Amino acid sequence: MPVARTLGSFFLFAAVSWTQSADLSIPATTSAINSPMPLSQRVVHYEIEAKYDPQKHALDATETLTYHNLTGQALDTFPFHLYLNGFQPGSTFVREGKREATRGQDFESWDPQNYGAEEIKSFEVEGQGDLTPRLQFVHPDDDNADDRTVAQIRLPKPVPINGYVQFKIKWHDQFPKVLERTGWDKDFLLAGQWFPKVGVWWHGAWNYHQFHAYTEFFADFGVYDVKITVPQNEIVGASGVEVSNSVNPDGMRTVTYHGDDIHDFAWTASPRYRDFFDTFPGSMGPVKIRVMLQPEHIAQSERHIHVLKECMDRAERFYGPYPYKAVTLVDPPAGSQSFGMEYPTFFTGGTDWLAPKGFLEEPEFTIEHEFGHQYWYGMVATNEFEDAWMDEGINSYSDVKIMDSIYGPEASWINWFGATGGARGRMRPFYMSATDLDPLARKGWQYANNASYGAVSYAKTAVVLLTLEGVIGEDTMMRAMRTYFTRYRFTHPTKEDFLKTIEEVSGKDLRWYFNQAVYGTEVLDYKVLKVSSYPVEWYRPDLKEKKGETEYVSNVWIQRKENFVMPIDVEVKFDNGEKVREHWNGQDRWVRYAYQKKTKVASVEIDPDHKIWVDRDNFNNSFVVEANTTAGRKLVNYFQLITQFLGQLLAWWLV
Amino acid sequence: MSAAGMVRRNKRYIVWFFLLNLLFAHFGANAFSTHVHAILDHSLYSDRMLHGFDPTVFLEMLFRPDFGPLRSSSALATIFAVLFLVASIVFMPGVLLGYSYDHRISRNEFFRACSQNLWRFVRLFLIYAVIAGLITAILFGVQAGAAHAAERSLDERVPILVQFAGLVIIFLIMTSVRIWFDLAQTRVVLQDQAAVRKTLRPALRMTRQHIGHLLGSYVVISIAALVVFVAGIWLWHSIVPASSVLGAFLISEAMMLVLLGMRFWQRAVAVAFYLDQQMEAAEVAISSRTTAIANV
Repeated sequence: MPVARTLGSFFLFAAVSWTQSADLSIPATTSAINSPMPLSQRVVHYEIEAKYDPQKHALDATETLTYHNLTGQALDTFPFHLYLNGFQPGSTFVREGKREATRGQDFESWDPQNYGAEEIKSFEVEGQGDLTPRLQFVHPDDDNADDRTVAQIRLPKPVPINGYVQFKIKWHDQFPKVLERTGWDKDFLLAGQWFPKVGVWWHGAWNYHQFHAYTEFFADFGVYDVKITVPQNEIVGASGVEVSNSVNPDGMRTVTYHGDDIHDFAWTASPRYRDFFDTFPGSMGPVKIRVMLQPEHIAQSERHIHVLKECMDRAERFYGPYPYKAVTLVDPPAGSQSFGMEYPTFFTGGTDWLAPKGFLEEPEFTIEHEFGHQYWYGMVATNEFEDAWMDEGINSYSDVKIMDSIYGPEASWINWFGATGGARGRMRPFYMSATDLDPLARKGWQYANNASYGAVSYAKTAVVLLTLEGVIGEDTMMRAMRTYFTRYRFTHPTKEDFLKTIEEVSGKDLRWYFNQAVYGTEVLDYKVLKVSSYPVEWYRPDLKEKKGETEYVSNVWIQRKENFVMPIDVEVKFDNGEKVREHWNGQDRWVRYAYQKKTKVASVEIDPDHKIWVDRDNFNNSFVVEANTTAGRKLVNYFQLITQFLGQLLAWWLV
Repeated sequence: MSAAGMVRRNKRYIVWFFLLNLLFAHFGANAFSTHVHAILDHSLYSDRMLHGFDPTVFLEMLFRPDFGPLRSSSALATIFAVLFLVASIVFMPGVLLGYSYDHRISRNEFFRACSQNLWRFVRLFLIYAVIAGLITAILFGVQAGAAHAAERSLDERVPILVQFAGLVIIFLIMTSVRIWFDLAQTRVVLQDQAAVRKTLRPALRMTRQHIGHLLGSYVVISIAALVVFVAGIWLWHSIVPASSVLGAFLISEAMMLVLLGMRFWQRAVAVAFYLDQQMEAAEVAISSRTTAIANV
């Protein structure tokens, strides 16, 4: 009888499971992509209906989330992210921001308008009833009981392997006055991380983290169908493609969006947007471009569209196709902290009224960077909690390649009133601000501070990859990037997936480099320590030196100042124009090269081909025997002029 | 005597002050110069700032641990800028005296005027600092409040325009205060007035009664100075090659010289106005005496 009972339970369970599975599925829709078939392994289908009240900056919504269990084991526990709860004084996000500052805040004081909340009203599971009381807040990272950014639900009945489960959630959002990325500002709203989002099953376990000051997000690919109801005068933009936009009998407007093969959904609303449209002829099909500008910035519409199309062109050529049918670029109000943020097929730029054309930081660099995230984050969906460098840093490297391609390497950041600088140069001071506190491989919330997080995950990664490009060759690096993108798009790769792809494509063992540059905090700094030349017959009192006739002994010392060991080239130039190139493995702390020639050393340069971008100090990489004071005098001239002007200004007003 | 004529006749004052300003700036840039030459003179990387100007390389230089704190360079520069301010206080009485004469005054007369009026000018400077400081603080406070209120506007340009309008108003008011004290200084020197407080009320009265004319002159000269500054920058950018240190030096120093001249022109306006007022008062007095005698 026990056997019969067991068998009976099994068949009952199977019947229940089968019943669930038979009704539930993730749609194989392709209306939002230029592809006849789905591009990702779709795990989730979000169907959301939301009603937004701009007066209260609040929203009430229902979400039907269908989840496909592809984990290979039965699941009875599901974590959900409730990110908006991070905007509360006791949250981990605010505590860490108070301790070390975030990208836009140091929390000198708490403004009640910055309060945000994502409050679940009811939580039902299809076939299992109302499970609201079973929701529990969890704190996997820091045991902060006041943090409510992750809630976990344990189901009475597990979801079988390959089975489906459907969650029906009602919740209320209170948007914060925008502190960081999401929220409202006057009559503008950027709704990001605004709905209960299920965690990611990754490498045999749930991967979910609290919302931290230095982390972003991580979610599964799927389908989104979202209806947003707003007052009639609001202009709405969102991820995916707009399906319908109509005025209801009650005077409100409902806009419906659909997204395929995306892992997040964001939207915006404001009565003030000015829309500009264009089309990009993508390799998989046309892409509708929508640029939503603030009225004060409409004079910059051409700049926005031009740079976006150029970026799309380069990204397709360098990495692969952009498969979605739409991309929306949102221009938030100037000074808003929702600038410069990425969501699938939707991102925010940022500019202001005066943005001069020669200074490409705004809007060009911001647009390029955020569009780049459509590849490095949107399609190659790395774990932004644990590997911040893999989206921000790889994208920062890509910034250099794309901006250089569009604007030329010498002026891809600034070309204004005689000042010219390129994107790779832009990375270096940023990198130098925090070279040795944290490795690239540090988990996002464990960085020493905000400065280190920014410097390492963005700029240090960029210069590390630029240097790697120098090691394996530019063409090989581009092939590696393209292979990595093609292989891992619509998946969640790890850092080793990326690093092994580079080794595979280059055919080289690069562990020596990765161990130092990615996993370590070694700093690279080579220096020309000393240069000397003296006549061979220096001891003769009657010696008269004659150019081209007198023989000299010359010595050149090269020092490895820090701990990063890397082979380098050294070029020694002589007075008579002769050049000698040496190659040093960098293993010891210093090396000396000696020459005996009828000429003296004129100059020495480490890395003459300028391939090493991760060297902390480029000024000591060369030594010119005959001092050239011109550059110094030029800068001193400027400084002196400022001092003069300051003196005159003080005298003008005070005497 | 016209103000422009005064300046033209005494061009040497502007040249001396300019040379003093340049000398102080040279010393003020000393610390910066030491650091910069140590880094750049033997490095090929300095080319990035010579042929053109790469601000990213400049920032790299500032971030070097070996550069030394920028603070020390800035502190020294500020000290020498303040020294020029002090020198201006010391030597301005001689300039005002020189402007008031239609012939060249001797060196003795110049320095005697400076020494006699030094303490008076220091006192005037202190009084001005307190009054102007208070007014400035109030005005900037009001401007900040207005700009803050303007931020409620949906249009991002409104707070910018409010701030700009505020700056214009602040400029006009502070220029008026400056005129008041310029006249006070002129009075102190030309009347050999030791009691500086006694000179403030008449100077204020003069300023109020003729604010339109005086403010108009000062504002026109200030606008001319701004035009010179902008034109100088444009010229520098257009015609001076990036690597030409001499060219940049010549154009920038020409700008500084002309800017200094503009301020001296304003001082001459104050002196010329004061002398005109004195002549008018003397004519009125003579006319009254003549009438009185006639009546007798």
